[in-house]
Formats: sequence, C-alpha cells, structure tokens
Amino acid sequence: MKKLSLLIAVLMIPSLIHAQELLPPDTSLQDAVDHYIDAEQATGNIKSAEQVDDYVLIRRTMLDLVGRIPTIAEVQAYVADEDPEKRVKLVDRLMAQPEFTEQLAYDLNNILAPAGKADLEAYLADALAANKGWDTMFADMIYGNYDEEMPKQAMQFVNLRINDIDNLTNATSALFFGVNISCAKCHDHPLVSEWTQAHFYGMKSFFNRSFSNGDFVAERAYGEIKYATTSGEQLDARLMFLTGSVIEEPEPVVLDDEAKKKEKADFEQLKKDKKPAPAPEFSRRAQLIEIALRENDREYFSKNIVNRMWHRIFGFGLVMPLDQMHPENPPSHPDLIDWLARDTYTNGYNIPRLIRGMVLSNTYSQSSRYDGEKRPAKFWFASASVKPLSPRQYAAALAIAARNPSHWEDENEAESRIRNEVNAHRGWANKFAVPNEEFQVSVDEALLFSNDNAFKDKIRVANDRLAGELAKLETNEALVQRAIQAVYSRLASAEEIEAISAYLEARSDRREDAISQIVWALMTSSELRFNH
Amino acid sequence: MSVNPGRRRFLGGAAAAGVAASSMNMDILKAESLSNELKKNGKRVLLLWLAGGASQLETWDPKPGRLTGGPYQAIQTSLPGVQISELMPKMATRLHNTALIRSLNTQIGDHGGGARLMHLGRRDEPNLKYPDMGSVLARELGRPDLQVPDYVSFYTATEGRGNAVGQPGFLGARYAPMFLTTDNKPAHLSRLEDITDLDHKERADLRQLLSNRFAKGRVSESLGSHNVAYGRVRGLMSSEKLFDLSDEPQKIKDRYGNSLFAQQAMVARRLVEAGTPFVKVARAWWDSHGQNFETHLELVTELDHVMSTLLDDLEERGLLEDTLVITLAEFGRTPTINASLGRDHFARAWSASLTGCGIKGGTVFGATDEDGQHVKDNEIGAAELFATIYKAVGIDPHHEYFVGSRPIPLVDPGTHAIDEVLA
Repeated sequence: MKKLSLLIAVLMIPSLIHAQELLPPDTSLQDAVDHYIDAEQATGNIKSAEQVDDYVLIRRTMLDLVGRIPTIAEVQAYVADEDPEKRVKLVDRLMAQPEFTEQLAYDLNNILAPAGKADLEAYLADALAANKGWDTMFADMIYGNYDEEMPKQAMQFVNLRINDIDNLTNATSALFFGVNISCAKCHDHPLVSEWTQAHFYGMKSFFNRSFSNGDFVAERAYGEIKYATTSGEQLDARLMFLTGSVIEEPEPVVLDDEAKKKEKADFEQLKKDKKPAPAPEFSRRAQLIEIALRENDREYFSKNIVNRMWHRIFGFGLVMPLDQMHPENPPSHPDLIDWLARDTYTNGYNIPRLIRGMVLSNTYSQSSRYDGEKRPAKFWFASASVKPLSPRQYAAALAIAARNPSHWEDENEAESRIRNEVNAHRGWANKFAVPNEEFQVSVDEALLFSNDNAFKDKIRVANDRLAGELAKLETNEALVQRAIQAVYSRLASAEEIEAISAYLEARSDRREDAISQIVWALMTSSELRFNH
Repeated sequence: MSVNPGRRRFLGGAAAAGVAASSMNMDILKAESLSNELKKNGKRVLLLWLAGGASQLETWDPKPGRLTGGPYQAIQTSLPGVQISELMPKMATRLHNTALIRSLNTQIGDHGGGARLMHLGRRDEPNLKYPDMGSVLARELGRPDLQVPDYVSFYTATEGRGNAVGQPGFLGARYAPMFLTTDNKPAHLSRLEDITDLDHKERADLRQLLSNRFAKGRVSESLGSHNVAYGRVRGLMSSEKLFDLSDEPQKIKDRYGNSLFAQQAMVARRLVEAGTPFVKVARAWWDSHGQNFETHLELVTELDHVMSTLLDDLEERGLLEDTLVITLAEFGRTPTINASLGRDHFARAWSASLTGCGIKGGTVFGATDEDGQHVKDNEIGAAELFATIYKAVGIDPHHEYFVGSRPIPLVDPGTHAIDEVLA
C-alpha cells in the first residue's frame, strides 16, 4: 500500500510542480539549482549524500575549472583558510586563469568537432577569452566566414562536414539543439511523433545551398530539396526548423546558362584568391541562426547548452541521452532546465556564468559516495558522479602527482612551474581516449601503465620525482601520508597507512623498488583516474 | 528488456540507475540468454583481410578465354564443375569445407569507404558509431573466464592500415581490438625486466586494494571498467606465449613457411586454439592498378599456400568445425584490364570465401556473367554476407542491441543470411 501511494506521488507531483511559476529570475543560479534539485528529491523521499570536505571540494573544483589536480600546498592553504567566502573566492580565482577557457575550449571542441579533430579549439579559446556568448559562437560557426575578420577555424564545424550535408544536418541538430533526427531521414521518427521527414529535410534545407569553395564555405541563392516518403510520394522540402516553424523565403534565384557560367567563374576566382565568397542576399544559413535564437523557437538551442554544460559538470544530463531532447523523453527536472534556459538567454548565453552557478551549488558539493542503503538513480542528483578524467586532465594529474611535491612549494614560482609541467605532458593525453557518455577504460590503457618504459620513468626514485622525495622520509607513516596527499589531494587513512607500510616492510631488502611500486599503485588506481 | 527512458521516473531507484547509465545493460538479459549456450560451444572466426582489393578473376571467379580473363587459366577443383584460378592449386583440392560467394555487389569503390563497409557490414551513420565485425564477435563469442585477448588484429603493412576499421563503437572499449602493427606481439604485453613477476603481481594487488577502497559506496560504469581493464592485465600477459612461435614444432613452422603473412596466420591459429573468438590477419597490398598479373602471381600464390596450410592445420586439430575462416577485401577488381595491365577498383561483382564452422562446404553461391562485369545470379551486399557470418557461428543476425531506446539490429533490417551456404 505504501509502495502504491509512493508511486502515485511520483506520478502526480512533477506535473503539479510544473504548473507553478518559475523562481524569480534574480534568484542566484546556485540557489535555483539547489531549490529544484531538493524539491524533486522531496517528492521521491530521497536522501542526498553528505556534503564533501575541503579536500575533495578543491580537487573536484580545480579539475572541473582548470583541468588539473591541486598541489599539496594548494590543498593545505585552502583547508587552512578560515574565510567563509573561500569557496566563492576559489571559484572566481580559478575562472580568471587562462586554463579555464583553455579547458572549456578543449571540451567544447571534443563535443563539436568530428572525433579526433582539434580544428575548432583555437577559435573557441579566442571566442571564450573575448567573452563571446554561445549564441554568437553558434552564429560564427554556422555562418561565419563571410566576414574576413572571422578566423577560418570558426567555420570548421561546417567545413569538416560540408561534403556530406546529411551529416552536417544531423550534427547541427544533435550538437546545437540536442535533437537526433537521423532516423527521420528515411521515415518519420518511430518513437517521436513530432519528428517527421519534413523536419529532417527542413533542417537539411538550411545547408543544401552551401558548398566548399577552397578554404571557405560558400552559398548559392538557389537549390531545392525533394524527398520521397515511405509511401513513395515526392515532396518539396520547406525551410523548416525543428519546432515546425517555417520560414517564408523569396523565390530561388534563376540563372540562365550565361549567368551560371559567370557565377562558376567568380567562385573559382575567389577560391584562387583564397577569399570568402559574399553571402547571397537571402542566406539560408543566416536564417537558421535567426530562427534558432528567435523568442518562440529558442527553446532547443538554450536547453541544449544548459543540458550539455550540466552534463559536463554533474556527469549526467537533465535530459539523457544528450541528443534525445524530445517530448517523449522529458527532462528529469523540467522547471530547472526551463529556469536555467531562461537565465542563459537573458544573460547573453554566457557559458562561464552557467558553470559558475553550477559549481557553487550544494548539489555540486555532494559526496560521490553514497553510504545509504539504496542508492538513488542518477537522475535524482542525490550524489556526485564519478567522472572519468579527460585525456588532458589525466595527463595533467599524472604530471603533477609524479613530480617531487617540494617543486610546487615556492609561492612565486609555483604557478609557472605547474603550467610548464602540465604543458610538457600534453603528449600523454594522446594515449587516452576522450570519454563519451558511456565511457569504458580500455585494456590498452591498463597494459600501458603496467608495462610501459616511459611511465616507469615517472615513478622511479629520483630527486625530481615523488618517489625520490618519499625515499628520503624517515618513517613509513610519513611516507604514506605524503604520497597520498600528493596523488589523491587528501590525508591518508589509518587503513592505508597500515596496508602500504606492510607492503614496504615486506620489501625491506629493496625499499626503493617498493616505493616506486607504491607510487605506481597509487597513480594507476581509480582515485586518480576519476574526478569524484 | 527495452525501457523507454521517458518512463524512467516510474522505476525504482536502482533499476532506473542502470537503465540510464548504460544502454548495454538494457540488453543484458537478452544477450545472456542468447549467448550463454553459444559461448560454451567456443566458436571462433579468423578473417584473412586482403587489403587493397584482391582480384576475383585471379582467385575465386576466373573467366578463362574471355578478354577480361587475363593470362591465367582456370583449374578444376575437387568440386564437380567448379573451377578457380590456376594460381590456387592447393585450395582447388580443398574446397570441400569452403563456400564460395561470387555475387557480391557492394557499390562502394574507394578504399576507405569500401573497407568501412566490409568491416561494419553497413554504411556509417553520423551520430552512431557501429561496432565492427570483430567487436561484435568478441562480445557475442568471448568468454570472460578465458585469459586470452578476444579480438586481435594484425596489420603490419602501412598501405591501407587506416582503413582497417577496428572499432567497438557503441559496444564500448571492452571490445576494442588489440591492434598489432609493428610486431607480431602486442605492445606492453611483456613485463619490463626491472620488476620481478611477484612484485608486478603484488603491486597490482595493492592497486586493487586501493581501488576497491575508493569504489566502496560509489557506482559508475566507467569506474567498473577501469578495474576490469586492470583485472585483465595479468591474464593477457600470460597469453604472451601465444604470440611467440618459438615453441611451435619445426615441422609446423616448415609447413607454414617464413613469410610474415604465414607467421601471423600461425599466431592466429594459436590464438583461436586458445579460445580467442576473433582474429584478423591483414595481407597488403593488393591494389594492382598496374601490373595486376605480377602482383597476383605473388600474392595469390602466397594466399593459396597460407590458407590451405591454415585450413589443414585447423582441421587436423579438430578446430575447423568451430572456426570460421573468411577471405574478404574492401572490393574486387575490374574485369576490364587497363592500359597498365592493371585492374582497378570494382565493387559491382566480386567474391569472398567462407570455410569451416557452420558452412556447408563445397558450395558456390551466386554467379557473374561471362565477362564478370555484372552479377548474374543471387546478388548480395555486405549486410547479407555479415548475416551469414553471424549465423554460421550461431548468432542470430536479427538480434538487437539497444542504444538509448533505439533498437539496433546486428545487420540492417530486411536482410537475411544466405541459407544455401549454411550447414
């Protein structure tokens, strides 16, 4: 009986909440996050995990904001700081570092560029450094290169896919609007009645007049799409956005053979001169930007960026999968995503603002450990996710952890030393895979760490290595304490001191080897591999 | 076991967490009931990948006496009425376990696109990464209790290597290939000299202890996979000897010969014998736009020798009835001989062979016209070939994986295995 009433409660309450007004726009972002997450948990009688301590919080925040683990000195300073505002100050200090936009550009590139390509990263880093909003970046990437000032890399989103317009259509829909319409190419979507072939070909129509002209993307003023339905009917595609809004457009330009010849020659000349072609008077790509950001149609665009940033910070989207944002797959927190979407478009689609609010919430600072009896499903956000590090984060974590920690102690030198060390280990990032929504660690990675010469070099007993410093410590307890702090950014537990000391004592005849092995075990263990 | 994510809010906490976390989880009940029985049977697949595109006219589908036929004759095989190229005298006497397929029309005539198609069995889709044949077979036929790699891929040549797709796609990195390019032994499989085996093992135990401590109270698919990956290291290292031919009897080594292709075929035999469900050995580079007949004289002669030795070896060990041996490429070659005495890319009418496990030996499926320009009978594409391969090793080709809520059948819907070549 109790179960039944609970089920009814879960069924009923979300719609009741949804009928209410959203929190006022001047609520702080972090308060809005916590309000909606807590309210939803209350409906399910969900108990959330405990708040983390300073050690976990600084590690988590630094990985998310600047892409690396803290040094022992940074952890100690943060823990000792008695300022009640220290968390906000930490976040603001980190977000002001160049590493913040660098990492964000890297992550956005991993989302937007085809696998393994870094083509958009430089553009994204510049755009973020110039405080461009996501709407402006979107416009640059879809429409950009008619302006000679626009860096060519901005157009790589389109350019890398321009030879396959279906792919370009799908990628744009999935990555900017959170909607995967690829099924609707051949038939109306089987699960989502809202998505028909008309939507797919409507979206494709925004791109079908565009083509690659040398280094640039050019667009003609004519070219229509016809498609066949499953019943064999031939239809003309209309310029239609995902919301079903149709753009009335001027009749396509009709060119006689002479004019076509001239047009072709003009494009060839521009190609030769390495210059962008001017936009046609009516550019379909420009129309896509306009309609996607228009008041009644901006829901997909604004919710997608909210959902993707939420996923980046919390490890799980408000809508999952990320490209299935459709009415048959409602968000776990409809009001929260509505509130955040409104906040983001009224604040110039400012991505750093979104991130800042998220990382300052109590939802963010929950433990990833859940010791309660039954762990709530991920969509309740009742505990933090355990997120695999990105290749660059992992490379940076290894670089910092492997170095003799005294190297970071000089306050004046620390910042540049850290930057140099992390940059020197960028190459390591190529050894690891970029995590996707359902990432698995490959056995190649485990074999690499187990039997690779270059990694062996990182963990050997030498003056500039962690293992070298550990070898100089007098007691096993001090050794374990220092090692755990350097690699895991926290204090060692009694259990760890005991287990690792036992390992050392069993190898008193080869203590240096044993220390190196301990560093190996710490650095390959999951606690370094994941952001928790 | 499909669950619409839209309904996830109505499910209990733990169950729903699984649904949301992993599409593959949703498939697990079905996959286990399907594969438990099959996995016990220990079926395996060994793919001989003829990279660059072998000529069907100089192998399985000769056209002697025609303008397109080239200089080589056809010879009678052990099957009445069936002839193959005279460059394959050894295979000609051994077709009783083999089915020839002479009616592939796969349409894609560039190396990259053709190779992707013949590895994935279907065309790419932008927002979904399909697993290749090897990853599917590793998942369906692999046995967690065996300490051997479940997907090994040899590709030593550099030509076309980038086209040799080995991707687990939505199945996840657990089913990624061990991809061997420079050596016949996988990288990082051997312990470094300056650590003893005992310390290597015990530091891994210490790592496990630390990781287990961390994993307590935490749940994540990725976290689980991290420890699974490390858990496989020692087992995989113990399979190192499989890649080392020094303990192979001299008599066997003499039979295979010294070519790289032969050595890799021998390692492949050792792997399937130890239980590895999928091994691919690539031999490059068959792309004979010029001097087709010299190239094929060399490569087909070698293929004939290595393939026949491999089949004999497998049969003598009683492995052939559980091992499917495939020869396949990204496409065939044009019947028309070009001005450089070469043959160009040709995906319209070409051949592949299937031998051993699940195959009705001594059959020929499909036919091309008298010049080999078109398929005359029983035209098939990549999907039918893949369906046939899966069915031959006991996998239902219409089995579905779920990615999110979307069902993904193993082969494109509406395609069927070729029952005529199945035992």
